[in-house]
Amino acid sequence: MNTKILENEFEYSKPGSLEEVLETLATKQNVRIFAGGTDLIVKLKLGALPDMEHMLDINGVEELGKIETRADGLEIFAGAKLWSIESDRRVEENYPALREAIQAMASISVRNMATLGGNFCNASPVADAVGPVMCYGGKVRMQSKRGAREVNAVDFFLAPGVSVLEKGELLTSVYLPAPKAHTGHAFVKMGRVKSDIAKISITAVLEREGDRIASCRLAMGSVAARPLFLKAIGEGLAGKAMTEALAQETAQNISDFIKPIGDNRTTAEYRTDVAKVIARDALVSAWKNSGGTL
Amino acid sequence: MKKNLQLVGTAVPRHDAWAKAKGEQLYSDDFTMPQMLYGKVLRSKYPAAILRGIDISKAKALPGVRAVLTAADVPKNEDITKFGQMRDVGGGFEGLYKVLANGKVRSKSEAIALVAADTEELAEYACTLIEVDYEVTEGVFDPRESIKEGAYVVSSEDKDNIVMRTKVEDGDINAAWALCDVVVEGDYFTTPHEHAYIETEGGMAWIDENEVVTLRVGTQVLEHYRTMAKILGLPHTKVRNMSVPMGGGFGGKEDMTVEMYLALLTLATRRPVKMVWSREESMDTHAKRHPEYLHYKTGATKDGKIMAQEVSIVMDSGSYTYLTPWVQMYSTQAAAGPYQIPNVRVQSVSAFTNNTFSSANRGFGGTQVNFAYERQIEELAAKLNMSPLELRRRNIVHNGDPLPTGFIPQGHIALEELLAKVDKELNRTPKPERLPDGRKVGRAIAIGHMVYGRLTFLHDSSRVSLRVELDGSVTLRAGVPDLGGGQASVLCQIIAEELGLKITDVHPYIMDTHLTPLCGTTTATRQLYMSGNATYKCVSIMKERVLEKASSILGYPPDMLELANRKVYLINNPLVNIPFETVIGHISNDGGELELIAQFNAPFTEVPDLADIKSRLNPDLTYTCHGVEVAVDEETGQFEMLRLIAACDAGKMINKNSCEGQIEGGAVYDALWATHEDLQWRNGITKANNFSTYLIPTSVDVPDVETIILESGGGLGPYGAKGVGEPSDNSIAPALVNAIRDAIGTGLNLNKMPVTAEKILAAVKGIDIEK
Repeated sequence: MNTKILENEFEYSKPGSLEEVLETLATKQNVRIFAGGTDLIVKLKLGALPDMEHMLDINGVEELGKIETRADGLEIFAGAKLWSIESDRRVEENYPALREAIQAMASISVRNMATLGGNFCNASPVADAVGPVMCYGGKVRMQSKRGAREVNAVDFFLAPGVSVLEKGELLTSVYLPAPKAHTGHAFVKMGRVKSDIAKISITAVLEREGDRIASCRLAMGSVAARPLFLKAIGEGLAGKAMTEALAQETAQNISDFIKPIGDNRTTAEYRTDVAKVIARDALVSAWKNSGGTL
Repeated sequence: MKKNLQLVGTAVPRHDAWAKAKGEQLYSDDFTMPQMLYGKVLRSKYPAAILRGIDISKAKALPGVRAVLTAADVPKNEDITKFGQMRDVGGGFEGLYKVLANGKVRSKSEAIALVAADTEELAEYACTLIEVDYEVTEGVFDPRESIKEGAYVVSSEDKDNIVMRTKVEDGDINAAWALCDVVVEGDYFTTPHEHAYIETEGGMAWIDENEVVTLRVGTQVLEHYRTMAKILGLPHTKVRNMSVPMGGGFGGKEDMTVEMYLALLTLATRRPVKMVWSREESMDTHAKRHPEYLHYKTGATKDGKIMAQEVSIVMDSGSYTYLTPWVQMYSTQAAAGPYQIPNVRVQSVSAFTNNTFSSANRGFGGTQVNFAYERQIEELAAKLNMSPLELRRRNIVHNGDPLPTGFIPQGHIALEELLAKVDKELNRTPKPERLPDGRKVGRAIAIGHMVYGRLTFLHDSSRVSLRVELDGSVTLRAGVPDLGGGQASVLCQIIAEELGLKITDVHPYIMDTHLTPLCGTTTATRQLYMSGNATYKCVSIMKERVLEKASSILGYPPDMLELANRKVYLINNPLVNIPFETVIGHISNDGGELELIAQFNAPFTEVPDLADIKSRLNPDLTYTCHGVEVAVDEETGQFEMLRLIAACDAGKMINKNSCEGQIEGGAVYDALWATHEDLQWRNGITKANNFSTYLIPTSVDVPDVETIILESGGGLGPYGAKGVGEPSDNSIAPALVNAIRDAIGTGLNLNKMPVTAEKILAAVKGIDIEK
């Protein structure tokens, strides 16, 4: 293997409209989307995509690079670069966990290229930006020649590298509903160095009603075969008065619930162990960020 | 020596600063030639195997493939490893160098065949068509196993795996333990370390119009052309490397890299050939810092006087000898640290394994023992219930104290001052127990000593030449490989200083094996010391010549004149002066010599008795001190370096920016060696062979380095300078780990690299991970 060389030869196209993109997806075989290329090119260099025949660059479609305000939320299109998302005022104000997750990712040069759509389509169990989208109740919008559809972000992932995206289908945008008042957020990631892939990560987004949790959504990275949405544990917190003890107890439940594996970044035991710590910290800081006190 | 220095010691921009800042500097990979081919190395699939046969017919038959070579095609496939030394030192030091594998394959990265083809892709593909018949064997991957009788023998040429055994002993170690009230003992392990230069190995070769095999390859050792000539069966005059600046070396480009392969392929095809290694190939293939398994036992009286230290070291040489015996001498000599210990015994052994070979890496055997002895001092202090700073103060060497070999360093020893300065800076505010976020704070200081200049029994020398042009500018010619450290520019600075010129008046032409005088290797922290002294010697002769001529013109004796601002002045009346250029014109008119060459020789010694080293091994040492403040999260084991203080006695700074750059760069180079950088060697396979798996710090992972530079004037280089390149990465690793120890209050799990968050967390919980 020589990583200076892309082993397979392929066609490359960069259409100027969404229609053409969908047309190419429908007619060409073994197409891969180039959005930022930060995963795709690495995979090509490693010879991991021997069947790829066509590289479809979506950066020629202007509308796919946009971040648009909608009546009831924000729509981030598939080609929007991570740097444009992290530096967007609307994201900073309404979806701070997403901003923090993006800023915890890789290096500035990678974030200048990479996209949120790519982070989803790569479907890595480690994907940092996915947890916040899940916890904000985000939806993933897809289009093909057959039409458009939408799934909840929490239902998007099936297995490592596998999502619900079908052949001929393009992830066009990630939609985030407007947050309610008294929403608090937290994103916590542990890596070895700053620009590392996560050993483990957690997102917490909760809504506060006085001294009680009205609702809570929790998601974790690097603890399962896909990004893990902790539905039952999050829902179990609804209506409860927030205390340090509740945060501890919930964190212990999370640690007991997850079944992580060991890999070259850390061990299963360590992940289970520190899940307690980051889960507690995330709950406490989400609560404080919502205006709550302890 | 000149007293009122104008230029030396200042932060004057280097001659190559703008080209590098603007991205205009050309490196090995930036050149191309008409009809150029691409070279590629086929490497072994297995770390241990016997080569039963190689069938190259399919590869050779592929259109566009111009040459496929195996060991049988190399005129002289075997030689002894040389590193530019001018003297044959023979037995024990110079191991077998093999161009292409035959017999036993010794490591996964070993080169088996070479291909040259019209394109890089084709060369790559041709390699897959070469059929190699391997008999896969068991292999051995731990030097503690490979030294045992009956172990798998790595090479086909030796009876066992031992590379070298050596010993340094002073006093009576056996009797000394009775004098000790407190004894500490520990096992240490240091990991192989990747150089991680931005530029991988590469270059090109062609045959010039006069049948000279010509290369343009960045290397730390230009003198490899002699080995190449020998292997090719050519005279030394017919192999030339017109080298290029490097994007980093750190010892990794001290061994031969692409040179031999390029020369063979260009001779076989009679066309220019280019070869550049990919990152993975580079990390799988080039040498690493020697992994060392160390055992230390240290004893002291209850008032903190260290009386005895016994050390045993097992070094992993990997697949070949290369620089192992020399690195081993450094480790063995430095093992007892910069401490005055009356009874010392250090025994070391190095052995082959089927791992990637080990060789030079910044610090050259000094960093491994430094980690161990500074960890040992910290534990001894804890057991004595004494501050580690105080324990160090009571035992450090001072001027006049001998090393355990009996040699008394001649340069100044600034440990007392360094400790005081770093302690004052690190503890300028009282240490808080915890940060507001709850993390524990730890602080620690570690010291180190590291030689500069090569082993004195190698009889090292350097030479440079200069020519004063008729307009008063100066051409410097020096075969000094420039790794990016400013190795050539400091020489210009010395010349400009002495001749009263601006640095821009002096231009260096460097690193050509046959057009520039050979300066010797850019290794061993020797260029400023060796070539700086040669330059000083050379320019001093020219200066005298200029002053004599000016004296005859102005009518004042030479010692009343000085050179400054491109003029020769009367010292006590600057109105009496003559332009430098005018003086040069007179010298030229009168037939005076304006071109000079001068050579500087280091001190020479005889080859020591390896069984009991009792002599000088190096010219002098440089002393360092690092201070670190960390915050440790006791719930996760993660730490953050809050402060990093790097202090060094540079003797005399020549270029302030370059000197600070070395000291900052050195601190960062090894900042995360002990904790993060892990090649994940598993049975001879490098699992972390790129920068997404092998983690090096970026600017956000280390704090701003606070440099403290002492200028004692007590070095053997020009103006009393010492070398700082390698010393500056010494003592940072133990300072960090000791700061973690200070924070968590235990030394458990901290002696074996990598000291990960997982191990620190276990230590906090009181779990010994080895039990």
